[in-house]
Amino acid sequence: MLFGGVLELLLVAWATSRPISNLPLMILDQDQSAASREIVTALEKTGTFSLYAFVQSFDEIQDALDRGKVNAVIIIPSGFNESIVTTGGQPTLAVILNGAESIPATEALRAIEGVTREIGEKIIIQKLGLKSQDLASFNPSLRVWFNESLSEAYYTTPAELALMLEFTVLLFAALAFSRERELGTLEQLLVMPFTSLEIIIGKSIPVIIIGFFDFILMLTMIHFAFDVPVRGSLVLLLVLAFGYLLVELGKGLVISVISRTQHQAFLLVLLIGMVDFMFTGYAAPVESMPKVLQTIANIIPAHHWLFIVRGILLKGSGLDILWPNVLALAILGLIIGSASLIYVRRALD
Amino acid sequence: MSFRHLWAVTKKEINHILRDSYTLFLVLFTPTLLLLFMAYALTVDLKNIPIAVVDYDRSQISRAFVHQITAGQDLDLFAHVESMDEIEHLLMKGEIKAAVIISPKFSQDLFSLQGVPLQVIIDGTEPASGGFAVDHIGLRAEEFINDVLKEQFERRGVSLASLQPIDLRIRTWYNPSLKPRNDLIPGLISMVLGMPALSVALTMAHEREHGTMEQLMSTPIGRTELLLGKIFPYLLVGLTNVILIPALAMVWFKVPFNGSFPLFFFLSAIFLFAILSMGMIIGVFMRTQAAALALSFLLIFFPGFFLTGIFFPIASMPEIMRMESLVLPGTHYAVITRGIFLTGIGMETLWPYAIMLFGLGIVFTGIAVLFFRKKLG
Repeated sequence: MLFGGVLELLLVAWATSRPISNLPLMILDQDQSAASREIVTALEKTGTFSLYAFVQSFDEIQDALDRGKVNAVIIIPSGFNESIVTTGGQPTLAVILNGAESIPATEALRAIEGVTREIGEKIIIQKLGLKSQDLASFNPSLRVWFNESLSEAYYTTPAELALMLEFTVLLFAALAFSRERELGTLEQLLVMPFTSLEIIIGKSIPVIIIGFFDFILMLTMIHFAFDVPVRGSLVLLLVLAFGYLLVELGKGLVISVISRTQHQAFLLVLLIGMVDFMFTGYAAPVESMPKVLQTIANIIPAHHWLFIVRGILLKGSGLDILWPNVLALAILGLIIGSASLIYVRRALD
Repeated sequence: MSFRHLWAVTKKEINHILRDSYTLFLVLFTPTLLLLFMAYALTVDLKNIPIAVVDYDRSQISRAFVHQITAGQDLDLFAHVESMDEIEHLLMKGEIKAAVIISPKFSQDLFSLQGVPLQVIIDGTEPASGGFAVDHIGLRAEEFINDVLKEQFERRGVSLASLQPIDLRIRTWYNPSLKPRNDLIPGLISMVLGMPALSVALTMAHEREHGTMEQLMSTPIGRTELLLGKIFPYLLVGLTNVILIPALAMVWFKVPFNGSFPLFFFLSAIFLFAILSMGMIIGVFMRTQAAALALSFLLIFFPGFFLTGIFFPIASMPEIMRMESLVLPGTHYAVITRGIFLTGIGMETLWPYAIMLFGLGIVFTGIAVLFFRKKLG
């Protein structure tokens, strides 16, 4: 159980941290010219595609798309080469995207547009007799901060790390009391000469230790396996991780006392975890959500936690940047923490 | 195999579930709630992405440029700032996702065809918004620059239809607007319908944990009957959801359904058979519910989310993960679901996946029965 989370993170991160590539591409080349071959070669070189097949008919295209065998189809019309070399020619390329998988399709389109742009520039250079350096200056220069190498892992693994901590702690905490209750050993626990506070602390300690240990393990792993840096202060990260852990622990304990069985506890954790997931901005940015949801996001601890993780790992942010999030976590932690303490103690008594 | 025995186990399991109405509610509606939350989380249309601009040129042209870029709902001009320091600060705070820096010679260079001194900086920590910002800034910038350049070229006697001579005619099949919603939601549906498998793992481990397994063993009920009897109620739950959830998706999210529903129902039943038996295996191996939980998250939930090709294309995964995704029922079911919802294909195309699912179900059930005997024999 200890290493399950780490293993999972490793596998998931490995599978998801590669750029989209090897998308099956189908080509119908009705021109069979030097120009059309150039297009095909350029498409191959992007690395986004893997040539699935060269076909001769539209039926084959229909079949492949229906079966979901390809993500995109390029149709090079006859006369393509002609239209490029003659002045006043209008070169056209037809693209069919498999919309049934929108994420690869968007990426495929991006790659195709890139290739078209490049080749288009070459055509212009020829037609105008310019030098390629001249045209280069017409493209805005693009800099990507915090993730210069555009490593996919930088996008996904910090978020996965943050979420793993939440799920691990929530799950173990939620099982803490619901397990005892279900097995009927809760009464035994309560007749022992411990105060309810001592019982709570006793139950929390293993969760805290496992959670924190897991976090350190996962952090080390993504650092070494995926080269994710820790640009900010490691100490700050660990301290905040501990703080966040306590917040989720509180939530988990409340779940564990309101559930009568572990099954219930688990389903509640799943639901709550999903709500949190939605607000962390892992997949979709919170800015795009309706205003109401954006405001709610601020009271979800995981939202601030993810920002902190990304900030410290990738941006090198310090407390000067992160203080609003830390403050929010602290306040939420106090509220959730005291509420859960009161509630749990009352439930136990 | 005696059906009387099978029915006895099923009845007991159903009673067990019904007595605990709280859990029943959760088991029945978790898939629906999950779908709702996840659909909202993952299919938000990107818009209002905040960006900042530093305009060192301050000419009419540069102002028009900024205006063009921020027109519409996609990008929000968060601030017009004066320096790189402010940009850096805003990026660090995450208040902007991208910044555009217009150099002082912008209009000058543009008119004299020297180039376009423009810099775009994007926040590389968030995959979606950064890329979106770049795409949109790039698109708008290109349009703008094209217009200006065309005019300038023409003044010099060079007629240029466009700076991008190759005309791309793009058609998107099955999902013309390429809204992620339309294909992600069927994908989510396929994932969410498999949730009862987790409950199956739990209920098996439950008996072991409470020590009631031995009692069951001493009755004349056979191993296979016990296993199948335990699955059956969850199969029913699953099938109910097979009807409810697509209905919800169509009504609430306006997802199209272009195929045949009876076919979908039939194939879903086979899927449930496969994935519930996966849950069975976990339940057979684990002695406590906590362990069954952890393992089912590990083997069913997370792979179901990440490795089934719903969000991340399988073609892009490393070889090993691709092979692993093949043994996940979710992978094949995702193809089936997408196919029926979006593409409208039928059995003649989907039969290989149906066979695959059935085969997986048989294998998993076989493994579960085999190890069940060994563990408790």
